[in-house]
Amino acid sequence: MSNIEIKDMYFSYTENEPVLNGINLTLDSRTTAIIGQNGAGKTTFVKLLKGLLKPTHGQIFWDGKDISQMTVAQLAKYIGLVFQNPNDQIFKGKVIDEVMFGPINIGMSQEDALDHARKALSIVGLAGTEDENPYDMGLSDRKMIAIASILAMDTDVVIFDEPTIAQDYKAKEKIKQIIRQLKSDGKMVLTIIHDMDFVAECFERTIVFAKGNVLLDGPTAEVFAQKEKLTQAYLEPPHVTQLCNRLGYQQTFLTVEDFVAYVKRTLKK
Amino acid sequence: MKSISLYQDKNTVIHRIDPLSKILYILVAIIVPFLLASQIASAAFILVSIIILLMGKSLKRTVPMLGFSGLILITVVIIQGIFRPDNVTPALVLGSVVFYKEGLLFALGISLNVINILMSFSILVLTTKPSDMVETFVRMGLSPKLGYVLSSVFQIIPQMTETMATITDAQRSRGMETEGNLTTRVKAFFPLISPVVMNSLITTKERAIALEVRGFDSKQKKTFLTEVKKTRSEKVIKIVLAAVLILSLIGRVLIWLR
Repeated sequence: MSNIEIKDMYFSYTENEPVLNGINLTLDSRTTAIIGQNGAGKTTFVKLLKGLLKPTHGQIFWDGKDISQMTVAQLAKYIGLVFQNPNDQIFKGKVIDEVMFGPINIGMSQEDALDHARKALSIVGLAGTEDENPYDMGLSDRKMIAIASILAMDTDVVIFDEPTIAQDYKAKEKIKQIIRQLKSDGKMVLTIIHDMDFVAECFERTIVFAKGNVLLDGPTAEVFAQKEKLTQAYLEPPHVTQLCNRLGYQQTFLTVEDFVAYVKRTLKK
Repeated sequence: MKSISLYQDKNTVIHRIDPLSKILYILVAIIVPFLLASQIASAAFILVSIIILLMGKSLKRTVPMLGFSGLILITVVIIQGIFRPDNVTPALVLGSVVFYKEGLLFALGISLNVINILMSFSILVLTTKPSDMVETFVRMGLSPKLGYVLSSVFQIIPQMTETMATITDAQRSRGMETEGNLTTRVKAFFPLISPVVMNSLITTKERAIALEVRGFDSKQKKTFLTEVKKTRSEKVIKIVLAAVLILSLIGRVLIWLR
C-alpha cells in the first residue's frame, strides 16, 4: 500500500508569515478528512502534496520518493486533486473530452482514456451526458464533471477540496458513495472539508489544522471527543455528537444511525 | 490578494493627509519652480518631497522609479553635455570627449525637474489608497461611473491574475505541462485561456447585477460612505500651499517689473 510521508515541513508565501510550521504526518490508506478554520493552511497543505507549491523546509515522500524531484505533471499520475471551483478547469465543449483531458495528459492511450472517462462519468452519475456541453449544465453537475475528470486519471491518491460546498443532499450522498467506492478500490482519499456531519459519516481519520500546525490527528471518533481542543481550533463536533453530549451520554456518537442503534440495544436490555 | 497599485498600507501622518492636499502639493511643486525659473526651487521641493516620503516611510519604494528615469536622465546629460548647440565653455575633458558647462547646466535643470515631478507624484501614489484617490476625484466632480471604472481596475486585475493562477494549478494537476518549449506552451494556451475568459464573463455579469441591485444607475445624487474629516491641520496645509503658490506668482511679477 502506498503512503505519503511528510517530514518536518514548513511553508510560507512571504517571509515572516509562516503558513505551515513543521508538519509531520504519514498519510495511509484510511480515508482522511482535513478540517480547520479558514486560513489554517489546509489548501496550502494539499497544494504542497500535489507539488504545486514547494516546501520552504522539509520533505514530502511519495512511496519513499522525494516529490521535489518530480514535476507537477509527473506527480499527476499518482495524486489527483479536485479543485473547489469546477469553472477553474472546464474548457472543452463536450463532457467526454473534458474528462479525457487528464488521462491523455498522463499518457493513457485514446481507448483507455475513453474507457476510464466513461467509467468515471457513470460513477458520478452522469452517464449519458458525454456529448453535452459542460457549460449548459448546472454548477452541481459541473462539479461532478470535475470529480469525474480526476477519477478518470485513476490515480492512487484522490484529494478533494471542499467537495460538498453548494451541493444538495442528493449530491452529497453521491459524493459519499464515490468516496466509499474509491476506498474499496484501494485508493487513498483525502478531503478538505467544513461539513462536520459529512466528516463523521465518511472518514476514518481526521486531522485538525490550526494556525499552520496539526492540532489533532486520529480516528474521527477520538478527534471529535476532544471538545476543548476543537473549540481552540474554532470547530464544532457534528450535530448528533453535540446533541448526545448535551443529553449526557459518555460515548461519542458520530452518526444518527450509530446513536439509534445504541438506543435500540439499550432498550432491549 | 496581490495589489497592482504601488500603495502600501502604513499608518503614518502622511497616509492620513487628504488626497486633495497631496494633489495640491504636486501642483505647487511643479508650478512654483516653473514660475520662478529657479533650479534652487526645484531642488528645495525635491528635498521637501524626500522628507515627506521619509515621514511616510515610503522613500525606499521610489528607488526603482528613480532608477528607471535615471537611465534616461543619464542619456540626457551625455547628449546635452556634449552636443548642445550653444556649448562654448569646456567643463570636463575625458580623452577626446568634451563635456560643456552650458549643456551640463541645461541637463541639470531637466534632471531636477523630472526628479521633482517624480517625487511629488510619488507622495500621492505611494501613500494614498487608490479608492480614496478616486473618491476625491469624484468629490471634485468626476462622474461616479467613471470613478467606479477607475477603482475597479485596481480590483479586477489582481482578481484575474489570481484566477489565472488557480486555473494554471488546476490544469497542471491534470498532468498538463505549462513550462517548456514553444509547442508545450502553445498547447497549454487553450486549456488556460478558455476558463479565464468564461470566468471573467460570468463574474462581469454577476458584478453588473450586484451593482444594479444596489442602485448603481440611480439618477439620485450620490452620497459618500466616508466623511471628509475637516481638521485644522488639513486647512493649514492647504493654506500654506496656496500661500506658497501666490507668493511665487508675486515673485514672478516682481521679476518682470524689474
